[in-house]
Amino acid sequence: MAAPALADTPTAAPGPRRRPRRPDARRRDHLVGWLLVAPAVAYFLVFLLYPALSALYYSFTDWDLRTPARWVGLANYADLLFDDVKYPHFWKSVRVTLQYTLIAVPLTLVTALVQALLVNAVRRGSNAFRLLLFLPVVTAEAAVGAIWRWLYDPRYGLVNSVLELFGIPGQNWLNTPELVVPALAFVSAWQCGISMIIYLAGLKGIPTAIIEAATIDGAGPLQRLRRVVMPMLRPTTFYLAVTGVIAALQVFGLVYVIFSGAGRSVTGGPEQAGLTYVLHLYLFAFRYDAMGAACAMSFVLLVLIVIVTALQFRFVRQEAA
Amino acid sequence: MSRTIAGVTVTAALLAGLTACGGGGMDAAEGRTLTYWTYQDRTPQAGQVIEKIRKDFEKTNPGVSVKIVKIPKDDYNTKLGSAVAAKTAPDAGVLDQPLVSKYALDGTIKEVPAGLFPDGTYFKGALDTNLGSDGKYYGLPVDQIGVALFYNKKLVPSPPRTWDELKQVAAQVHQAHPDVAGMVVPKGDGYGAWMFPGVVAGAGGEMADVPGKKILFDQPPAVEALQLWADLLPSSPRKITDSDKPFENGLAAMQISGPWDVPTIREQFPDLDFSVAPLPYKTAPAGNIGGENSVVFSTTKNADLAWKWLLFLGNAANNGAVADAAGGFPVNTRATPVGTGPENEAFLAQLKVAHARPAMPQWIQINDEIIAPAIESALSGKATPRQALTDAAAKTRALLGWNG
Repeated sequence: MAAPALADTPTAAPGPRRRPRRPDARRRDHLVGWLLVAPAVAYFLVFLLYPALSALYYSFTDWDLRTPARWVGLANYADLLFDDVKYPHFWKSVRVTLQYTLIAVPLTLVTALVQALLVNAVRRGSNAFRLLLFLPVVTAEAAVGAIWRWLYDPRYGLVNSVLELFGIPGQNWLNTPELVVPALAFVSAWQCGISMIIYLAGLKGIPTAIIEAATIDGAGPLQRLRRVVMPMLRPTTFYLAVTGVIAALQVFGLVYVIFSGAGRSVTGGPEQAGLTYVLHLYLFAFRYDAMGAACAMSFVLLVLIVIVTALQFRFVRQEAA
Repeated sequence: MSRTIAGVTVTAALLAGLTACGGGGMDAAEGRTLTYWTYQDRTPQAGQVIEKIRKDFEKTNPGVSVKIVKIPKDDYNTKLGSAVAAKTAPDAGVLDQPLVSKYALDGTIKEVPAGLFPDGTYFKGALDTNLGSDGKYYGLPVDQIGVALFYNKKLVPSPPRTWDELKQVAAQVHQAHPDVAGMVVPKGDGYGAWMFPGVVAGAGGEMADVPGKKILFDQPPAVEALQLWADLLPSSPRKITDSDKPFENGLAAMQISGPWDVPTIREQFPDLDFSVAPLPYKTAPAGNIGGENSVVFSTTKNADLAWKWLLFLGNAANNGAVADAAGGFPVNTRATPVGTGPENEAFLAQLKVAHARPAMPQWIQINDEIIAPAIESALSGKATPRQALTDAAAKTRALLGWNG
């Protein structure tokens, strides 16, 4: 894009003279343009906008997916928020999800940053490390669930074996209500590969001159990290925090896989300790045949996400120092 | 407007699905075609069984062709719901037990015509899973399944028959082998709550009286049943039983499970010496029930033919094979089960005294959201069984608007 100032300067090179295009040619251009974006627009309209709008409509109805939807106005929303006879675990699912987000997002960021710093520091084989650390992201969710069920096994699990090496007694991770959310958050931190790659890109973007200048001024590695690297990474951290929170508020697959399986039904683990918001929504949509209420839940979540994101934009510093 | 579009989309998707799935069934040029939806075959052999029955039916009913559409079990309920909404439901189809009363309430399935079959054709437990909340039948059972007591023969030489014996055996095992739990006590989740009514029935109780609009799971039989599970925990610590496959690994002497586990254990743990016995009881033998029913959809134009087909699936000659193909046991009292051996005997004995879940549309939700947490709070010691169930019953009454 040319700066406007240039256009006003008569001395600027006018460039090759072009005849003004005729209007019908421009119209043809428009048509071609629309044709080119048509697949994307059609996809957006049919698979994103239309379902979202119909979900909004159905959130004002009582609908079991089977019989005609019945308009109930705001009743679904009011019942969700205030009727604990109809939705006894709604607020529980909100609490579980917020708790999960509060643990999972910082844990993921710290893990990703540490991994990125380590990968950035190695001279040889950094590709291999990057690949290994990224593997958990590309592993199928079902496999991740199965593996972590074994890792968290109260008798034979690797997690407990490692803890016991340090003299910490083994825990019954997935069956103790207080430990369920931290255990789930830990798995998500283990899957921090994408954040790690983005941090790595952020690190590469810090000019070496600044680091060298700090070194010459006598800053040690920790000081450099605290005073130079972290402030320079602030936009990256902000981006990862915002997207991380949005993803964490919608956590579903992991919980579903970990708490389902042979002989277990997906009701969210011991005492509903793992009943995340979207799992709760899923149960109402597909197990209890209350699609109208489930649609309302999805819009309540949307509002929650918008509020949390707006708060982050308002109160978290996003520019690099 | 938006619903019309939704309808058209769903219809188009389903039509595409039908053409894709129903390759086998050529429409007869003349005569009638009956469309029947069922779950995808569990095994190739099961597919052959159903195919043979289909041909037999066509042979005995000249001019009729049966088109069987097989849908993966995980997608079945959603697909069926959409088809019903779009008025493209098949003539008949399989329906999960707890859904029968929901569909019945909507009027999307037909009531069983009076005198369709003689009394005593089906086991009572299995037949009762077809009740609507109005106390009428809305489907016919196809196969049934229930849970029984699995026991490790090395640790439990003879299986307990009563609750007292069960507690005694569990305590003895754990005392003799502190690393081994007496029994895998079910948990307060949806699955545990599904098994619970069978135990309650063993003390002579029921979960609810639907026609009378009464909740009964705060009554002594249910409280005693939950107390039994709580009493078993000291000799069956969760620290042991929460481990992966505790019974299979010899870490628990007993567990409650269903017939699906027998071949899996035999295959994966050939060294485990185990057998299956009916559930221990307090006053009378009893058990729970699961399995598949078949229903006729209201939109059908072939209702008489559809009922005929459902009767054919459940008759004395066919039902043994049909039920086995579906992974369960026959529902016809005169059908011969395919499997033999002590395990099958135990499950069959259990199913003769099985009690259906309360026939109310909200039961799954009550099971998951109210009863399961109540069981868990009693098992974790946060409430006594009586408190937990009294509280749960009050919540259920409030949800349903019942007074009893």
